Amino acid sequence: MKSTFGDKLFYAFNYAVLTLIGLSCLFPLLHIVALSLSEAHAVDSGRVSVVPVGWATASYKALFDNTRILPAFWNSLEITVVGTALSMAATVLTAYPLSRAFFYGRRPLTLAMVFTMLFGSGLIPNYLVMSQYGLINSYWVLWLPALINTFNVLVMRTFFEGIPGEIEEAARIDGCGEWTHLFRVVLPLSLPVLATITLFNAVGFWNAFMNVLIYINETRKYNLTVLVQQMIRRDSILAGVMSADPGDIANVTNEGIKAAGIMVMIVPMLLIYPFLQKYFVKGVMLGAVKG
Amino acid sequence: MGVHATGTEPAAPKARRRGGGIGAIRRSVPLYIMFVPGVVFYLLFKYYPLGGLVIAFKDYNMYDGILKSPWVGLDNFRMLFNQAQTVQIIGNTLLLSVLGIAIGFPVPILLAVMLNEVRRTWFKRFVQTLVYLPHFFSWVIVSGIVLEMFSQESGIINHWVAGVFGEPYPFLYKPLSWLAVFIGSGVWKEMGFSAIIYLAALTAIDPHLYESASIDGASKWKQIRHVSIPGIMPTIALLLILQVGKVMDVGFDPVYMLSNESVSSVANVISTYNYSVGIQRAQFSLTTAMGLFENAVGFVLVTFANRIGRRFNQQLW
Repeated sequence: MKSTFGDKLFYAFNYAVLTLIGLSCLFPLLHIVALSLSEAHAVDSGRVSVVPVGWATASYKALFDNTRILPAFWNSLEITVVGTALSMAATVLTAYPLSRAFFYGRRPLTLAMVFTMLFGSGLIPNYLVMSQYGLINSYWVLWLPALINTFNVLVMRTFFEGIPGEIEEAARIDGCGEWTHLFRVVLPLSLPVLATITLFNAVGFWNAFMNVLIYINETRKYNLTVLVQQMIRRDSILAGVMSADPGDIANVTNEGIKAAGIMVMIVPMLLIYPFLQKYFVKGVMLGAVKG
Repeated sequence: MGVHATGTEPAAPKARRRGGGIGAIRRSVPLYIMFVPGVVFYLLFKYYPLGGLVIAFKDYNMYDGILKSPWVGLDNFRMLFNQAQTVQIIGNTLLLSVLGIAIGFPVPILLAVMLNEVRRTWFKRFVQTLVYLPHFFSWVIVSGIVLEMFSQESGIINHWVAGVFGEPYPFLYKPLSWLAVFIGSGVWKEMGFSAIIYLAALTAIDPHLYESASIDGASKWKQIRHVSIPGIMPTIALLLILQVGKVMDVGFDPVYMLSNESVSSVANVISTYNYSVGIQRAQFSLTTAMGLFENAVGFVLVTFANRIGRRFNQQLW
C-alpha cells in the first residue's frame, strides 16, 4: 500500500503532537530535579529550566537536617506496608466466599456491599464515628476504614470465578477443604490480580492525604504527603528551618527546598513505576472484563 | 478507577450443577467464617456511619452526642440554603466538574486514537511510559510542581512570560487563569491513564475494517472518523455516563492544594467547604446537611446514569 501525501501529513502531525504531549510530562519532572540541585541565585531568578544551574545539594541537606522529612518518610512507609497487608488479607477473605457458587446469600451480600459504593455517609458523620471509636491520632484510622474497597473485592471475585472448574473438581476429590482450596489452589493461580490490587492499595496508602490531614493531629505522626504539602504552601520555610546555621541561608532557597521535598515523594514512585505500569494497565482491563 | 462495569450477577451454571440444601450450607461454614471480617468492616465503617447522617436533622453538640442531640427538623437545610454562599459553592462544584469533563473527557480519547496510529513500538511505549506516570503521583506532587512552575516571583513560566511581555502574570491569583491551571493540571495528571481503556477498545477493532477502508481509498483521517471512533463508541458512551454520575464529586485534594484566598470565588467547593466549616470550625450539623445533599444528588445521578447505561447494555449493576 502506498501512503498518500495526506497520510504522510497525518503521521507527521501525529508524531509531532505525541512528542509534545510526552515532553509536557517529562519537562516538569526534569524541572523539579533541576530546581532541587541548582544554586540558590539561579533558582531565585527563575533561570533554571531542565538542567541544574551549577550543582548544589544544599537544598537536600537543609531538607534532611532541618525538617521532619525523614520521620515522615518512615511514617509513610509504615502506613503503606501495614495498611496494604491488612487490606489484602481482608479483601481476599471477602472476595473468595463471594466467588463460590454455593455460598448462600452471596447476592444480597454483594448488593449490600455495592450500595456502599453508591451512597456514603460523608465526611462529618465519618469523622464523628472515628472519634467515637477513639481512633483519632492513631494510624488505625487510616487502615481500618480503608480495609476493604468494594470495587477491588468485585474485581477479585470476578477473577476467582474465572478459575477453571476442573482444577477445583480435582482438588475436591483430593478432599480439599475451603481454606486449603483458597490458599493452595486459588491464590497461587491469582497472582496477577493479587499483584494489581496490592499495588492499587499501596499507591492509595502511600498517597493518603485527606485522612491524615483530618485525623492525625500530632506533627510527629505526619506522613510525607501532609508534611510536604505544608512545606509547599508555606512562603518561608527558611525562617523556621534555617535558624540553626545562618551561614547556609545564602546557599538555599524556599523553592529549592520545596523541589527537594517533592523529589523525595517522586523518587519512590519512580522506583516502583515499572511494576505499576505492568500491572495497572492489566488492572484497568480486569475491571472491564465483565462490561 | 477504570470502568466499574463489574457485573454483580453470579455465574449461575455452577450453582445449578451442585444444588443447594443442607450440604451446601454445611460446606459453606468455612466461607461464613472467612466472611466475618468483611461483615464487621461493612457494619462498623460503612453502615454505622450512615446512621450519623441523622445529625443533619439535629442540632449536634459534643455533650449529647449523635443520639441525644435535639431534633430540629429541616432547620439545617433551611439555614444552608438561605446562605448566598451555599448557592455559590454548589455552583462552583458544578462549574469545576463540568469544565473538567468538557475538557478532560475528550483528551484521552484523542490521545488513544493518536497512540493507536503509531507504528513504531519504541515510540509508542516511550510516550505511554511518560503519560501514564502522573496518574500515580499524589496531588501533593502535582500541585507542588504546578505551584513551583506558576509561582509569580520565581516560577519558570513567569520567567518566560516576563521575558516576552515585560512583566509576570499572577496565574494562580486570577479566577480565570486559576481555572485554566486547575483544569489543566487535572487533565495532565489523568489523560494518559484514562486513555488506556480506549486503547484497549481500539485494539479490539477488527483490522480487516481498516484494510477494506484503505483499499476503498479512505485516508487516515477518514479511517479514524469512520472506523476507529465508531468502533470505540460504546466505550465512550459508557465512560461518559460514569462521568455524569460523578458530577457532584469534585475531589478535595486538588482544590485544597491549588486554591488560595484570591480565587475563592471560583474555588470554594462542597468538599473544601465541609472541611473548613465542618472539621475546622466544628459546624457539624450544617456540613452534614451539605454532605447529605451532595450524596443524595450523587446517588440520583448515578442511578439515572445506570438506567441510561442499561439501555446500551452497559449497566453497572
